[in-house]
Amino acid sequence: MSTRINPDFKNELTHFGKDEWNECYHCGNCTAICPLSKDGFLFPRKDLRAIQMGLQDKLDASLEPWLCYYCGECSETCPRDANPAELMMTLRRYLTSRYDKSGLAKLFYTNHIWEYVVLGLMFLAIVVAFLVFLPLKTDAALMVNESGGVMINSLVEGINAERFIGIIEYGDWTMAIVIALLLVSNIVVMFYKSVLSENGIRIPFSSYFTEAWQLVWNFATQSRFSKCDDKQYWIGHLLLMTGYTIMFILVVVFLPLFQIETVEPWWHWQRLLGYYATFGILFFLTIVTIKRLQKRDVKLKYSHPSDWIFIVMLALTTISGILVHIFRLQGMVAATYYTYVIHLAILVPMLMVEVPFSKWSHLAYRPFAIYFARLKTVAAEVEKEKSHKELVPAVGS
Amino acid sequence: MEKTRIGVYVCWCGTNIAMMVDVEAVAKEMESRQNVVLARTYKYMCSDPGQDMVIRDIKEHKLNRVVIAACSPRIHENTFRKALENAGLNPYMLQMANIREQNSWVHSDRIEATRKAKSLVAGAVSRVNHHQPLNKREVPVNPASLIIGGGISGITAALELADAGKRVYLVEKESELGGIAAMLDLTSPHFYSISDSLKTLIRRIEVHQNIKVYMDSQVKQINGYVGNFNGEIKIGNKKVKNIDFGNIVVATGLKPIKPETIENYGYGVFSEVITSLDFEQVLKKGSVLNAYGIKPKNVAIIHCVGSRNEDYKPYCSRTCCMTALKYANMIRSALPEANVYQMYADMRAYGKHCEELYADTSGKNVLFLMYDQREGMPIIEKDAIGPGVLIKFNERLSGEDIEVPAELVILMTAMESGKDAKSISQMTGTSLDANGFFIEKHPKLDPVSTTTDGVYVVGSCQSPKNIPESVSQARAATANILATIAKGYVEVEVITAEVNEDICCGCQFCIQVCPYGANNYDQRKAVSSVNEALCKGCGTCGSACPSGAISTRHFTDKQILSQIEGIMAEVGSG
Ligand SMILES: Cc1cc2nc3c(=O)[nH]c(=O)nc-3n(C[C@H](O)[C@H](O)[C@H](O)COP(=O)(O)OP(=O)(O)OC[C@H]3O[C@@H](n4cnc5c(N)ncnc54)[C@H](O)[C@@H]3O)c2cc1C
Ligand code: SF4
Ligand code: SF4
Ligand code: SF4
Ligand code: SF4
Ligand code: SF4
Repeated sequence: MSTRINPDFKNELTHFGKDEWNECYHCGNCTAICPLSKDGFLFPRKDLRAIQMGLQDKLDASLEPWLCYYCGECSETCPRDANPAELMMTLRRYLTSRYDKSGLAKLFYTNHIWEYVVLGLMFLAIVVAFLVFLPLKTDAALMVNESGGVMINSLVEGINAERFIGIIEYGDWTMAIVIALLLVSNIVVMFYKSVLSENGIRIPFSSYFTEAWQLVWNFATQSRFSKCDDKQYWIGHLLLMTGYTIMFILVVVFLPLFQIETVEPWWHWQRLLGYYATFGILFFLTIVTIKRLQKRDVKLKYSHPSDWIFIVMLALTTISGILVHIFRLQGMVAATYYTYVIHLAILVPMLMVEVPFSKWSHLAYRPFAIYFARLKTVAAEVEKEKSHKELVPAVGS
Repeated sequence: MEKTRIGVYVCWCGTNIAMMVDVEAVAKEMESRQNVVLARTYKYMCSDPGQDMVIRDIKEHKLNRVVIAACSPRIHENTFRKALENAGLNPYMLQMANIREQNSWVHSDRIEATRKAKSLVAGAVSRVNHHQPLNKREVPVNPASLIIGGGISGITAALELADAGKRVYLVEKESELGGIAAMLDLTSPHFYSISDSLKTLIRRIEVHQNIKVYMDSQVKQINGYVGNFNGEIKIGNKKVKNIDFGNIVVATGLKPIKPETIENYGYGVFSEVITSLDFEQVLKKGSVLNAYGIKPKNVAIIHCVGSRNEDYKPYCSRTCCMTALKYANMIRSALPEANVYQMYADMRAYGKHCEELYADTSGKNVLFLMYDQREGMPIIEKDAIGPGVLIKFNERLSGEDIEVPAELVILMTAMESGKDAKSISQMTGTSLDANGFFIEKHPKLDPVSTTTDGVYVVGSCQSPKNIPESVSQARAATANILATIAKGYVEVEVITAEVNEDICCGCQFCIQVCPYGANNYDQRKAVSSVNEALCKGCGTCGSACPSGAISTRHFTDKQILSQIEGIMAEVGSG
């Protein structure tokens, strides 16, 4: 069966980032230099080809964009300045919009005004909800503990600390579950397109389990990333990722242990973890922001609106979190309450929009793509061995 | 009599010879041969230091014969003859042994190859003992020239010579001048209009007092030799004109193949499919329309149609890649919304401003699709759902089997040698290569001369060429011709046959066999005689003569037999 080419397809990628697809003349230098392109998953040239020719099904099924960590080496060696690294980034955005069946991801990527609108509305909704349903107590000024810190869970009118924590925890879990469901359904789409619908490939059942460690390992260490030349970038990213994950776990799983009424000494584990997380996030954010503004480093030269939204939202969340912490230690009750509300009003929309529908989804897509790629490699190896056995009859037969 | 003193030089040719032949051993072996005074080896004998060494030795060691074991004499015999001449020796006291083309390049056993080299050199040494000094002959040059073919190459050559004040006869078989260039619109890579320039050139030719143009004419016969040719030209259907000239420029160009012969492209079956020359005519009309008069939404340009394919033409037609890029640009400006596809096998964008045109075209939303002739050529069929045709093939850069709809398909057809190439090569005593293109004397160092003195081959009759290349060749040939005319005389070959009148029995066999009509019968003396001006020294008469009365200078029986003896004699092994 031959595929009819579709040169108009590339227009669908407009607004996802790169929108010039003609420069590449397929010398293959990029694929040759890429430290991550191997084992039957060769990129970025082939993906560029698929775009030029409009092979949409092929692109939708491709895992390669997730296997690329944007080290930029390919773009640096390209003789035609075709910028293949940015192409891979563009494809990650495009694929995110393809996995998401709601159409929101596509809407946000192609028209970021909508993203502002949704983020803004959610911000307002949370602020209003607090002011209406969980307003500041009239006698809140009394809610200071023996060390002079604000008792943060006891600031709301008519609700005691346990109930408050309960409500927030309930909200956290609901949010986490919604996000998880969205991500899982997207990953199912990815799995279907990249693995199941490929003809003639049979994944050995056992490999689903034997390869599962890839998921955890790659999520936790991003070991593929470490193979790029710029190791500092990988460490910075690891700081951000671990900091963020720690914060997420503290806030969602251990909220009652983290958001407490007393002020623990600075060396207490939960404060130390909090500081590490804050430092990790801020450190990497600062570096990335500077580099994105400088536009010198090839991997941070081109910034899509979604990149900036991500950075700004994360920075605002972190800064508001730090402010809550400071105000609380200083015993500034009203300031603590209002910054806490603002903190949540930034954090929640950020997570709800960014994780399932935008840049942050890569935290799930990358490890799963590596896992699926591994499964396909195993399947191919098994297949090769089988045909090899058929070709070489056993001795004596 | 002066004592024979031979110098032997064995060339390494870099590693070309030295890798397969132990040159030192060959030289050593020769040292002990009779009359050999010295035997040396050197990295590059043809280089200036190599020649200087020979000249120095001739003077210091009083050498009077030289053997050079190196490449083919076709390449450097003249070089070394000149060196001998510079050292004050008669140039014919040289003998070359070809130990490269006939030895190191074709063998793989070093020991055997060395042995063979020794034999070949021994033959040369043995032969050179019997060399005789020969004296060159000079004949005056007729300053008029004949130019065959009135394309851009012929036109350029004609004007150059005529502007230098020399008489030119320009013979064109068609009723118009300009050749293929006259059929072109703008040209790659600069998008100059060649028709505008051509019009000016042709007008100048028509009024030039030094140029006589014969339109609708063909050359029927050519006799003579450099400086003194004579030819017959058939004008129109009947009139035959006889002219004299001193040099000949062959500029007969080439022609596109018939794409009907390549069935998978459906030329002649689908009106959507046209050739590059057809498309030039479309462009000349000023708008890009297909045969149905509609503006195509998809235009496909297929490269290498009949080129680079053992079943058709094995060679690259050289100008079509750039012409195809030219089309892509012109279609892009005429139809900004159309999809333009280049279906290519390899992109050949060599040369000044060509890669730039390629890069530039890539940026104009032109899709380059690669195919591999060995995996199967594109196949054109009717599109079942669309208005035009479908082109199907395996696209190499994606690995996909694809189909491309198109309402206009341009075939970049291969170029083949002109249909008169054979008869002209016979008339002018030049040769054609396996593809029917004229062979130049030396592909690098003498690219417009031929092995026949006074005959030049320029432009695309040699091989497909673009306009700048054709024009440069035409100008190169005219520079050569003007130099010959300025010198006023030419040296003609002295290696001719001679008749020993005492032995000749007058049987006239030689007259029957001579391919150049150089033998005459002298009624009064009742013997044959040789017209040295016409004789090419081919030796045919010598082998035919039953009385052994004819021998060819520099190829006497004695010389040849002693060479064979030398080769057959025992040599040291390894
Ligand atoms: C479709 C196409 C597009 C091209 N586009 C470009 C371009 O964009 N840029 C570029 O640089 N080049 C281009 N070229 C190449 C260019 O056309 C040639 O380089 C040029 O025409 C060669 O000129 P020529 O005089 O050597 O041969 P020709 O143009 O072939 O002229 C030969 C002449 O000799 C005559 N002749 C043949 N046999 C005889 C005979 N026996 N007796 C008398 N006369 C005879 C012929 O009638 C003809 O007039 C293109 C070629 C083609 C086919
Ligand atoms: S993107 Fe650049 S390096 Fe890669 S194949 Fe294309 S031209 Fe070559
Ligand atoms: S950016 Fe780096 S990892 Fe990504 S394709 Fe280019 S070289 Fe490979
Ligand atoms: S010039 Fe290009 S199109 Fe023409 S034969 Fe050569 S490779 Fe093919
Ligand atoms: S630069 Fe040289 S090697 Fe490269 S494409 Fe041109 S001719 Fe070939
Ligand atoms: S050597 Fe050849 S060309 Fe000369 S007369 Fe004899 S046959 Fe004729």
